[in-house]
Amino acid sequence: MIRVVLPYHLRTLAQSDAEVQIAVAGAVTICSVLDALETHYPMLRGTIRDHVTQQRRPFLRFFACGEDFSLESSDIELPPKIVSGEEPFLIIGAIAGG
Amino acid sequence: MKSTGTVNIVPSITGVVDAEAGRDMQLSREEMLRYSRHLLIPEVGMTGQKKLKAAKVLIIGAGGLGSPAGMYLAAAGVGTIGLVDFDVVDVTNLQRQLLHSTDDIGRSKLDSARETLAGINPHIAIETYEERLTSKNALNIFAGYDVIVDGTDNFPTRYLVNDACVLLGKPNVYGSILRFDGQVSVFDARRGPCYRCLYPAPPPPGLVPSCAEGGVLGILPGIIGTLQALEVLKLILGEGEPLIGRFILFDALKFAFRELKLRKDPACPVCGQAPTIHELIDYEQFCGVKSPLAAEAIDEQTEITVEQLKMRIDRGDNLCVLDVREPHEYDIANIGAQLIPLSELPKRFHEIDSSKEIIVHCKVGSRSARAAEFLRKKGFQKVKNLVGGIDAWSERIDARVPHY
Ligand SMILES: [Zn+2]
Repeated sequence: MIRVVLPYHLRTLAQSDAEVQIAVAGAVTICSVLDALETHYPMLRGTIRDHVTQQRRPFLRFFACGEDFSLESSDIELPPKIVSGEEPFLIIGAIAGG
Repeated sequence: MKSTGTVNIVPSITGVVDAEAGRDMQLSREEMLRYSRHLLIPEVGMTGQKKLKAAKVLIIGAGGLGSPAGMYLAAAGVGTIGLVDFDVVDVTNLQRQLLHSTDDIGRSKLDSARETLAGINPHIAIETYEERLTSKNALNIFAGYDVIVDGTDNFPTRYLVNDACVLLGKPNVYGSILRFDGQVSVFDARRGPCYRCLYPAPPPPGLVPSCAEGGVLGILPGIIGTLQALEVLKLILGEGEPLIGRFILFDALKFAFRELKLRKDPACPVCGQAPTIHELIDYEQFCGVKSPLAAEAIDEQTEITVEQLKMRIDRGDNLCVLDVREPHEYDIANIGAQLIPLSELPKRFHEIDSSKEIIVHCKVGSRSARAAEFLRKKGFQKVKNLVGGIDAWSERIDARVPHY
């Protein structure tokens, strides 16, 4: 199972916990993880990636094992610790509270 | 240095304060006693304490983050602390904003903050700027300071603070909070990424709640604002490893800190290789929010004021008032509207009587604006957003409705 951590506004939308677990078939890439996430939580479609362009929303970023994957190709394979579920794939969102 | 398999080139750390300026400072006997626990640490010592005295730190927002940041920096002996805020102390601030006390309710936050900081340390200078930070005044105010602390509570001001810091080449000690989550970093475009490298554009208005809408655990700003103060001290002293190019997430519920690496975006519009932003812009427009000056003018087609709604209810108009807040908020205060939380609207919108004119409300009007837009897309013809939400209703129509 792949662990995915969602920012607060997406947790509310998905009515999920901060961390969700999803099964991903085949290669574990940003794209396949997000596809599986959207299949599980259809209400997240269009919230992480633009409906049309499939581009990451600019106020969200993707991290894996402490490294920023936001600007990487969505087809590259994620690190083994993400694949094994040892580390979560993080979707970080901008917040502005002070 | 952590072994990451790559070679990290750590920029040489020099303090943000001119070493000369620190050397010219003198500490009185009283100050030496006050700062004795600092003087005992070689990384601070007399030299460092003089640097602190010579330093000028500007804090944007005398609220949740600005409180601990300001109080610790004052106590540490930062010689000049500037504060920008234009608000008055409200009872709902007191759960977390320790600069202010119960007796300060209704006072200007800056008057209250000045009194608190001077009480902590009479040896420092406190400058106050009782105005909204804007593209017109930001560069002038920032110019006199060595480090800027971003403790504001909204996206337009965060982009404004970032851009002003990049344009002036000053470090931006960043912190933000929501509910149980905190984020901290030091954005210094001369040595690493800036806020725009991380988030080139803000979320659409209303998507990510503010603390006023979503709530915040009162202790969280205490932790995050204190971490900001820590980074300020390190920048001034030129000691340790600053959070430049590093982003810290704090999850208070799990008690988990995560460190993430950030890189400068070569395409960043303000600090990248070919910047397109050379001066401050209109940040309200950039963030898609109405400027506070224009907030009073409403769009009659899509919006309604609480006064108009009251009048229409009183005259018996056939309205459907829809509340899109969460059930726990409804329990705190409601005006008897039909409740469908925004998150459930996509699967429950058919419960709404489409033959009626629909007035959507939330707490302050941003979630309901999104809900109204959603309903229009789903074919509802007459949908209006209640400007100012139940907060405005409580304030201007019916004080019996609790304000929260
Ligand atoms: Zn940048």
